[in-house]
Amino acid sequence: MLSIKNLHASIDGKEILKGINLEIKVGEVHAIMGPNGSGKSTLAAVLAGRSEYDVTEGEIIYNGENLLELEAEDRAREGVFLAFQYPIEIPGVSNINFLKTAIGEIRAYKGLDPMKAKDFLMMLKEKQKLVEIDRALVSRSINEGFSGGEKKRNEIFQMAMLEPKLSILDETDSGLDIDALRIVANGVNKLKSKENATIIITHYQRLLDYIIPDFVHILHNGKIVKSGLKELALELEEKGYDFIKEEVEA
Amino acid sequence: MNEVIEEKISTEYKYGFVTDIDADNAPKGLNEDIIRFISAKKNEPKWMLVYRLEAFRHWLTMDEPDWAHVSYQKPDFQDIIYYSAPKPKKVLKSLDEVDPELLKTFQKLGISILEQERLSGVESRVAMDVIVDSVSVKTTFKETLAEKGIIFCSFGEAIQEHPELVKKYMSSVVPYTDNFYAALNSAVFTDGSFCYIPKGVRCPMELSTYFRIEAAGTGQFERTLIIADEDSYVSYLEGCTAPMRDENQLHAAVVELVAHKNAQIKYSTVQNWYPGDKEGKGGIFNFVTKRGICIEENSKISWTQVETGSAITWKYPSVILKGDNSIGEFYSVAITNNYQQADTGTKMIHIGKNTKSTIISKGISAGFSNNSYRGLVRIAKGAENARNFSQCDSLLMGDKCGAHTFPYIEIKNNTAVVEHEATTSKIGEDQLFYCKQRGIDNEKAIGLIVNGYCKDVLSQLPMEFAVEAQKLLEVSLEGSVG
Amino acid sequence: METVIKTSTIKDKLIFEFETSKLFLFGNTQLRDQAMESFYKQGIPTRKHEAYKYIRVDLMLKGEFDFSTNKNCSDAQIEPLKFLKDAYVVVIENGIFVEGLSNLQNLPEGLTICSLVDAEKSNSPVFEKHYAQYADVKTDPFIALNTAMTKDGVFIHIAKNAIIEKPIHIIHISTAFKNTIIHPRNLIVIDENAQAKIIESFETMDSTAKIFSNALTEIVVDKHAIVDHYKIQDEKELGYLVNTTQVIQQKQSVFSTHTFTLSGSLVRNNLTVVLDDEHIESHLNGLYLTAKNQVVDNHTVVDHRKPNCNSNELYKGIIDGKSIATFNGKIFVREDAQKTNAFQSNKNILLSEAGTINTKPQLEIYADDVKCSHGSTTGKLDEAKIFYLRARGIGIINAKKLLMHAFASEVVNTIKIEALREYVEEKISKTFE
Repeated sequence: MLSIKNLHASIDGKEILKGINLEIKVGEVHAIMGPNGSGKSTLAAVLAGRSEYDVTEGEIIYNGENLLELEAEDRAREGVFLAFQYPIEIPGVSNINFLKTAIGEIRAYKGLDPMKAKDFLMMLKEKQKLVEIDRALVSRSINEGFSGGEKKRNEIFQMAMLEPKLSILDETDSGLDIDALRIVANGVNKLKSKENATIIITHYQRLLDYIIPDFVHILHNGKIVKSGLKELALELEEKGYDFIKEEVEA
Repeated sequence: MNEVIEEKISTEYKYGFVTDIDADNAPKGLNEDIIRFISAKKNEPKWMLVYRLEAFRHWLTMDEPDWAHVSYQKPDFQDIIYYSAPKPKKVLKSLDEVDPELLKTFQKLGISILEQERLSGVESRVAMDVIVDSVSVKTTFKETLAEKGIIFCSFGEAIQEHPELVKKYMSSVVPYTDNFYAALNSAVFTDGSFCYIPKGVRCPMELSTYFRIEAAGTGQFERTLIIADEDSYVSYLEGCTAPMRDENQLHAAVVELVAHKNAQIKYSTVQNWYPGDKEGKGGIFNFVTKRGICIEENSKISWTQVETGSAITWKYPSVILKGDNSIGEFYSVAITNNYQQADTGTKMIHIGKNTKSTIISKGISAGFSNNSYRGLVRIAKGAENARNFSQCDSLLMGDKCGAHTFPYIEIKNNTAVVEHEATTSKIGEDQLFYCKQRGIDNEKAIGLIVNGYCKDVLSQLPMEFAVEAQKLLEVSLEGSVG
Repeated sequence: METVIKTSTIKDKLIFEFETSKLFLFGNTQLRDQAMESFYKQGIPTRKHEAYKYIRVDLMLKGEFDFSTNKNCSDAQIEPLKFLKDAYVVVIENGIFVEGLSNLQNLPEGLTICSLVDAEKSNSPVFEKHYAQYADVKTDPFIALNTAMTKDGVFIHIAKNAIIEKPIHIIHISTAFKNTIIHPRNLIVIDENAQAKIIESFETMDSTAKIFSNALTEIVVDKHAIVDHYKIQDEKELGYLVNTTQVIQQKQSVFSTHTFTLSGSLVRNNLTVVLDDEHIESHLNGLYLTAKNQVVDNHTVVDHRKPNCNSNELYKGIIDGKSIATFNGKIFVREDAQKTNAFQSNKNILLSEAGTINTKPQLEIYADDVKCSHGSTTGKLDEAKIFYLRARGIGIINAKKLLMHAFASEVVNTIKIEALREYVEEKISKTFE
């Protein structure tokens, strides 16, 4: 589904990603862990198409297409979803209106007829239940006045509504207390299927107790320095990131 | 982001066509003779001339105000034509006689007078008064309204035919001593709309006035007076446009509203005077005094405005809540772009008991523009249980524009409940990227954000105007993204 | 021979007490001396001190006061105050940590609870790093006084990555039989990525003596930590409380605090939250119900020092009798703190003619790309709503109660611990009786 080869990316002339290689198949969950400044969020931003980042080398093939040639909105329409580390507030635009517009645009891109209002409302209800989000939040302006935890839950609700093929969760666990974390993880688990794939970016191991990854990769200084199974995350938590730094630099 | 804004700035003024109507101008300049000329031209009674001259003499003693957060080259009052009437062939009897050029003008604006006439008998209708360069050229539906006892005519006509009403109410809400531009207007106003709703009548249609400045070098000084007698209701709409011109043109209007016991007046404005070009050259100076008085109990006055035009706007539609249980409302969207400057807001003066007011103000600034909200809420000593809620939001597009909020709150009665909320936010790259990541492109995203932001105000406009206002917002922001 | 001693001021007495007892107090004498010097300069605030002009602590401190700290409380007396059945309970009697009254068996991994004195004695590096680092003695005379004179309190440390699911309940109980001044002090440190819920309750035992408690709590919230903090102040008529809470937050942490002032003759809360890094979230909620001659004064400071942080403040009050309630909320947005979202709301209901409410929101904003708002309302119970309820057959007293509950519920509903919410609701119902 996703094949990243020798990806180099920089911002303001400073190289952040220094040759990432990553293969993700349909149905898989990959966790990317790493210390602050290792390039985790940059990788997510480059995948989603943020224009401040320059890709200087390498390629990203997504379902046979060159992802880097697509505009950000077209990547979204092709099924790439980024759950933002810091979700943006948009005053005055209700979540419902936002999602209706997004779904309309995505369907138009695919040459499908607009969704019927009734079907949309049914879907809204069903997904609300799935990710256990408060109805009141759904009808409010996007993320406005939401607590950090509510914003994160709203990201997962949007993910449920847009039914992406590749979901990238960028530090979705930060700011969530343990009860909210369980709910969010439960929602993500329910949305997993054989047809989609998930990338979980996290600093801490805790989320991986609830969403079990197939593979764990450790990002350090713009490169994946170690890959393994879910046990790697536990080892990392125990020994700390300094251990990786020492191992790599040794 | 800056590209987005640059693009936005380059949006052209869509209503900038010049209609060629042979105007009947007064000579440039202002003195007592000019005032006598205007009064004579309009065939006015003597009391009217006396009023004008008193106002003029008072005006001479006043200084142009400079407390507003705007800066501009003050107009040279001797370089303005104070009277410019489109030459009527004769008194118009039907629409066929309206200057076809003028009708075309209205078609370009998307307003068809003929259409309005044809629609009579349909449930939702609009009666319209059309004012070009200070003179009323056509009032529709006069007869239909007359059946209900409603008077809706040009101000000039009212002076001739209803002098007792004009004498009683004119200047009762905005005396000519009120401010510099109100005094000027009182001296030189040429026409405007007059409306009287008798006791117990609910006006069956939206009343509407379209203002347009055509002739070059003219100022427009119109006056509107609306009186809603006991238990009556009226919804009044006003629209404004002007052609593109290099020089600044002055528009100094006075609007007075009087609501009697249990009466309700809803006054909506979509103001799209020419704002000047990209470099800030030309455009209308819009210095307007609008005020209503809820003179008796249970009355209500509601101002709604969508302001997208004018080089400089200086305007504070206000309500004096004198009657007990009376209600004042102010809903405003003001967009400034390029080098436009707006200093606008409202005054809610609570005098009666249990009076309530609501202020919702939404400012959007783009380009190099400056947009200020200035609002006064005054609770007088006797205003037991007065309530006010104010919300003033500013939205910035780009980083070269400014938004300012100047709330003034004066409370002299401790039973008052006064709430004030203010926010300033930016449409930023982050918001646009967030929308893109959900499959929504820039153009759609900006429309979504701006319409969402203005929702509370647009929903206050009558249906006929809401669509036009929404279109206007979109036009103002069209092409704002690449 | 008889000596006539001129009645000395409370300030003199405090300084005398300090000089005679300081050798017996724990920790760093230099720190205490500096703090006392600072108190000496500031003195007990009077009406002339802007920050204390609505609360006359100086008048309350007239007369004789004792500084001794006896233990009078029995198991049976403390038991009803342990209103959370499933919690780790710390009892602090007259400012001294009492292990025998506390419930600290089977502490989970990552949680350390001990007395401040023991923490200092054991040379705990966490204690040494954080003790008295945040509440600045120069900014307030009561911080100075507490720092100089405190005898004890509790030290709580939650280690990195630990999640403490059960709440930690600190009970401050005053039991003196003579007029007494005490200075309890707590230090709570929550390490990186850890989570905890902490409740501080303030109670007095029935007696005829006035007890003035100058309590101070410092809370350190390290990066990614999530902390829920509650204060339940219910000191009855002889309780006089100045309660300073100083919070420092690190990157991406979430801190929520809730202050419920249900009774007490005089309550002054000084709450300061410093947002010292990016992407921090802070919630400050408060509810004060005042009656009779009570004076309740909430001073809050939210200090945004870095970009991209959110703070949200909601304080509500119901004022009855001749009571005086004050809300003074300051929000700083420092020059660096771009993209700050800071909201503040203070709403009051004045039930009586003689009650007073002073509300003073203060926004000091030095950054330009920020979203800040404040709203403040004071009003009576809505007559129209009362009438509506009466028209549905609800008596006037119940109608008023219903509306007061509705008003308070916005704050009460922010309590995330169910048992605590029920307790507070019950307390509020009693107050409305």
